[in-house]
Amino acid sequence: MNPLELTLGIMTAVGGFVDISELVFAAKAGSTFGYALIWVFAFSTVGIIVFSEMSGRVAAVAKQPVFNLVRHRLGLQLGLLTLVASIISNLITCAAEIGGLSLILNYLTGAPYFLMAPVATLVIVISIWILPFKWIERVYGLLGLFMITFAVALIAIHPPWSEVAGGFVPHIPHGLNTKELLTFGYFCVAIVSAVMFPYEVYFYSSGGIEEEWGPKDLLTNRITSIVGMGLGSLLAISILASSAQFFGPAYVDPEIPGSTALQAAIPFGKWGLILALLGMFFAVAGAAVETCMANAYSIAQFFGWRWGRHKKPWEAPRFTIAWIALFVVALSIVLTGVDVMILVELAILFSILVLPLSYLPLLLLAGDRQYMREHANGSIAKGLGWFYFGVITAAALAAIPLYLLTAGGSG
Amino acid sequence: MTPDGRIKLVSELLDLPLVDSEGRYCGIVDDIEFIGTKELKLKALMVGPGAYEGRIPRPLFWLVRKLAGDRITRVPIDRVRSIGSVVKLDCAGKVVGLERSEDAAGKWIPRGGAL
Repeated sequence: MNPLELTLGIMTAVGGFVDISELVFAAKAGSTFGYALIWVFAFSTVGIIVFSEMSGRVAAVAKQPVFNLVRHRLGLQLGLLTLVASIISNLITCAAEIGGLSLILNYLTGAPYFLMAPVATLVIVISIWILPFKWIERVYGLLGLFMITFAVALIAIHPPWSEVAGGFVPHIPHGLNTKELLTFGYFCVAIVSAVMFPYEVYFYSSGGIEEEWGPKDLLTNRITSIVGMGLGSLLAISILASSAQFFGPAYVDPEIPGSTALQAAIPFGKWGLILALLGMFFAVAGAAVETCMANAYSIAQFFGWRWGRHKKPWEAPRFTIAWIALFVVALSIVLTGVDVMILVELAILFSILVLPLSYLPLLLLAGDRQYMREHANGSIAKGLGWFYFGVITAAALAAIPLYLLTAGGSG
Repeated sequence: MTPDGRIKLVSELLDLPLVDSEGRYCGIVDDIEFIGTKELKLKALMVGPGAYEGRIPRPLFWLVRKLAGDRITRVPIDRVRSIGSVVKLDCAGKVVGLERSEDAAGKWIPRGGAL
């Protein structure tokens, strides 16, 4: 295990953890319910760690990325359904990320939103074309570490730490009426979905294959998943806690990403705001890359095309056409003028519906001793895996009714 | 596992990725062709959207055919070196006609600019 590689891997995971949906829902969750939803972030983070570790292990041992498994384990028909659903979910998520990027660029430069969307997309496309996989992942992940500004801002405002710590204990706030309870339920489902987005696992496992992981990399995979995602989640929790401190008491509903950036401006002024916006920019740009590449990986793996950015773009032509076309479609969605926040909510909703279908084949293969030999799921991974599979299935069933009953969490 | 061994076709062969002798992905086992009447034996692996017929509902197959055509490439079973988490071939994909779509797409991609 190379310590430098491990450190870079962890830092990349930390910087790449947060995306536009987490930015929005963490801030909204804090302003609406104070610290009461922190435990849902922590709980979901354990879930994404379990499945990421599993997908990395399967990539290292069975050399199989997620969508090869989806097709082989679910069969053509159900596999095709999963593929179409995940393409739609990732496409909407990618459009939400591009919309979010354009908003952030608009805050930073004052240039028009509709100009910034194609500019941001073009810059991302060029960076993916030029850089090999490892550098794509690292550039966006490491620059996303500017997001640490939010954690520092939280420390600077001296929140009531006992109340923040209390938020880690699973509970439902007392005294909520039925409407508020339903809204609380919707936020729980949305946070589970935002933290456990399926694209993260598609991208992570495909990345493992791109970097030619083998059994010797299993420890690195485990540490990167646990430490990187655990620390990344603390950034999202910092946003929630700052929001609970600033926005909740002032009855501010942080509907747009700009409100979230203000959390750093309050203790640190202009430079806090700029650093927060830069962190958001790179974190969201990284997520745009991951969602689009995850889609291209899924399609290529499902149909058995050549794939990967360890190859030159012309060495995997259908894969290259796929990711460029997906960016163009995502950009077109943004240019229709649809509200970024609507895209975020749709992304959350579609993702939770896809999650059980994405994670079931992974769970089955990671436990299969024929493929995984001595690296098959042990009792802890198996127990946690099936427990979280039950949770995401229940969340998927509850998502649409809760969305409709609460008008998308608006109460 | 080798193609001569006893295999549970549906669970272990169908929908597995094909990897050629140069380590490149070159398709998926979309269907399987048999030979014989009394004792069935594997004849070829069928690759391509045309092999979806009968595996997905008819309206969906109609859509697939409109979008991707109904091409089928047959990979003779004696070209299969091993069957595991992928099906490994003992030749380049091109030799059994598996690279046509990839080559056609390649004409649209400019060379250069990538590190």
